[in-house]
Amino acid sequence: MFFHIVLERNMQLHPRHFGPHLRDKLVAKLMKDVEGTCSGRHGFVVAITGVDNIGKGLIRDGTGFVTFPVKYQCVVFRPFKGEILEAVVTMVNKMGFFAEAGPVQIFVSNHLIPDDMEFQAGDVPNYTTSDGSVKIQKESEVRLKIIGTRVDATEIFCIGTIKDDFLGVINDPGASS
Amino acid sequence: MKGKNVSVPQGNVIECNDSSSDSDASPRANKLNGSLKSGGKPPTHPTFSKGGKGDQPGKSGGKISRSSSEPFIPSTPKINAKEELPKDAERLMDCEAAEILQGIQDQLVVLSQDSTIKLPRSFDNGLRYAKLGSHYTSALAVKQVLETLKSHKVSDEEICLIANTCPETADELFALIPSLKENRIRIERAIKDVLSELAKLKSGDYENKCT
Repeated sequence: MFFHIVLERNMQLHPRHFGPHLRDKLVAKLMKDVEGTCSGRHGFVVAITGVDNIGKGLIRDGTGFVTFPVKYQCVVFRPFKGEILEAVVTMVNKMGFFAEAGPVQIFVSNHLIPDDMEFQAGDVPNYTTSDGSVKIQKESEVRLKIIGTRVDATEIFCIGTIKDDFLGVINDPGASS
Repeated sequence: MKGKNVSVPQGNVIECNDSSSDSDASPRANKLNGSLKSGGKPPTHPTFSKGGKGDQPGKSGGKISRSSSEPFIPSTPKINAKEELPKDAERLMDCEAAEILQGIQDQLVVLSQDSTIKLPRSFDNGLRYAKLGSHYTSALAVKQVLETLKSHKVSDEEICLIANTCPETADELFALIPSLKENRIRIERAIKDVLSELAKLKSGDYENKCT
């Protein structure tokens, strides 16, 4: 789920950037440092949407760098247990499959794939029903439910299931071929 | 880096009016959605449909004696986003997020002469995902329709999930968001009203995908 939140960060700036464009430099550095990062608490910072406030700088002893407290708004993506996501399958193997929903990776174990779907090895590994009517392969789009998340400093990894009502394939690229 | 700086004047939020936020901007979005929501055929997979006891995924079990029976699925998982995020965090429906992110990307196109401006890969991923989940013509209208559920004690997270999953029927909604089942009797009427209102707001693009 996406969230719009306000965060704070202390930005250190070298004195050579001081001048009429100091604010621009700070915001540029903020975007470079923050966008695309992930924290366990807030999720992936997708984009900074605004800078609320830049506080007074504090000169750091010995270095000349100045630390500015910056309050900014950003859009983050944070998955939660129980959330329903539409994800694109990126890899299929006998253990299950991996899918991506935005910046988040999700693994769906073969135990969380309906029992009547069997793994088929080959050039395009896939899970298929016995009658061949449903197939999960790379690039398939699936609706899944998050049942667990593992969070570390730089990424959030999710476990999902499609073994529930109204979950499963929503678009199979191979179906049209 | 003038890019966004130009448009982030003192303490203001970048204006991200809806401009071209429709999902049809994305080739991926066009591709999405074929069957699940189409033609009243809830799941593509036969076993997903109603009668199944899907609520116990661990149950498939017998095959491997690994730790598979395990941890999961509380039968009615409650989404508690607020507990982990700052109090002032505002949930965004996918369609809202798509509008905001598209606005940022449009600004970047205008300022693309500046080669120092680059958006990280996660931005593209986020935007693509938001567009995929953006099934409606107007995020504002969707929000107004869904706000009515607040009086029935439906939480903001649940409201967002309803918007993002775009269910067609009340049964589908209650299956996808089991935390609402507790109050099903009380809120079912309101839910049905909301779903019929939402159906009117679905984007033509989305309807095409469904047919």
